[in-house]
Amino acid sequence: MMIILERVWKKYYFHQVFHRSLREDIVNFFKKRPKNEMGKGEFWALKDITFRVRKGECVGLYGPNGAGKSTILKLIARVTYPTKGTVTVKGRVAPLIEIGAGFHPDLTGRENIYINGAILGMRIKEIKQKIPQIVEFSELGEFIDMPVKKYSSGMYLKLGFAVAIHSEADIFLIDEILAVGDEAFQKKCLEKIEELKRRSKTILFVTHNRRLMEKIANRTFFLKKGEMTKVVG
Amino acid sequence: MFTRLIAYKDLFLIFIWREFSIRYKQSIIGILWAVLQPLSMMLLFTFIFTYVMPIRITKCPYALFFYAGLLPWSFFSSSLNYAIPSLTNHYNLVTKIYFPREILPLSGVAVAFIDFLLACGVYVLLLIAFKARICWNILWFVPLFALLLVFTAGVAMVLAALNVYYHDVRLASSFLIQLWFFASPVIYSMDQVSLKLKLILFLNPLTFIIENMRRCVIEGRGVVLWQFLFMTIFVMLFFLLSYKLFLSTEKKFADVI
Repeated sequence: MMIILERVWKKYYFHQVFHRSLREDIVNFFKKRPKNEMGKGEFWALKDITFRVRKGECVGLYGPNGAGKSTILKLIARVTYPTKGTVTVKGRVAPLIEIGAGFHPDLTGRENIYINGAILGMRIKEIKQKIPQIVEFSELGEFIDMPVKKYSSGMYLKLGFAVAIHSEADIFLIDEILAVGDEAFQKKCLEKIEELKRRSKTILFVTHNRRLMEKIANRTFFLKKGEMTKVVG
Repeated sequence: MFTRLIAYKDLFLIFIWREFSIRYKQSIIGILWAVLQPLSMMLLFTFIFTYVMPIRITKCPYALFFYAGLLPWSFFSSSLNYAIPSLTNHYNLVTKIYFPREILPLSGVAVAFIDFLLACGVYVLLLIAFKARICWNILWFVPLFALLLVFTAGVAMVLAALNVYYHDVRLASSFLIQLWFFASPVIYSMDQVSLKLKLILFLNPLTFIIENMRRCVIEGRGVVLWQFLFMTIFVMLFFLLSYKLFLSTEKKFADVI
């Protein structure tokens, strides 16, 4: 088992936290409210989610906006923690973060490969070794030594994807990033995902494209309003 | 803390390099900016206290006196300036991917440390130019700076973490840093302060550190050992507490940022 979610509940607030007053925070601190009680302006983003993902499995998450798909990915990436329940993850996680997150506009593509690679947990030596492959996959050619603020959004995406896919992670989290990029590059990405599957990497991905989902996922979880409604496969 | 950071050593190095190179991209004098800040402040204060308000502050040459205080002060204030918004500026990373969050404020401190080293070069030139008499007590400079570094790291982590919850911290920080400047013996010497005031001013850990960092170099005076030990214990406790606070708030960063 690579990923185990056991009766996971996650509470979120509608309003941003700094709209709450300091006084309110102090009162809440001393008055320990039970965790399942709903406060004003709170809602459950996930309700009682339980599932297991085996090594080498490719799982798709499908559902309308606000169903809790991204929240699940965030829990697995250890960015956020459950309000109730437990999340167990074994192995290195590489979230294929949104286009350009972690890129600095003033630095060149090559410099950004180092930064993004390190963020994904790669060693500097490892990045150095893989730079030729990454540059080749990104199809950026000589643009690689140009500041990324001059890139088109497609070029941004290609570079981001190229770095993430070359990291030696065990679990890959893919959040709707396949929606952008030209058709040829999309095809290349799909091939790469197939290759990861063959190397028995674990993949979780989110997409609104039903056809794509059926093509690459071993199992699909259907989510609606924070609840898991159906499991296919 | 160290076991947590060692696994992410490469990321830490990359972040320091990144902060450093971003800052001096598209600037003409580049790295000289690091030296320019304490140097220009020193010239300003020397001018003011020599010509505008001629007050006797110290027997030492004013240029040397002010620079000796501004050097540690600049390290402290620029560390905070980098560190306080560091978590909120990188919200796109904090909400997407895991890494020990303290890397962000600490790389701000590390960049300020590089600036500090460069500014030390100018310090050496000034010491030679003013023919300052150096004695073995100058070695105190290193442990005193170590104290400053640990204290700064603690303050940086606490304020950066609080800034995630209350953006008031960033708004208040420039004001706070200014107040702190006058509460520290940068443009005055503790030698001229009355005993009652001394006790109040020594509540500020920077008072001890900055005053002694200056004394040991330009006046060749040593540090009182028990005071140094007391300060070391205080700074260590403060740092541990700050780090604990940081860790306990860290898990919620992505939810509230």
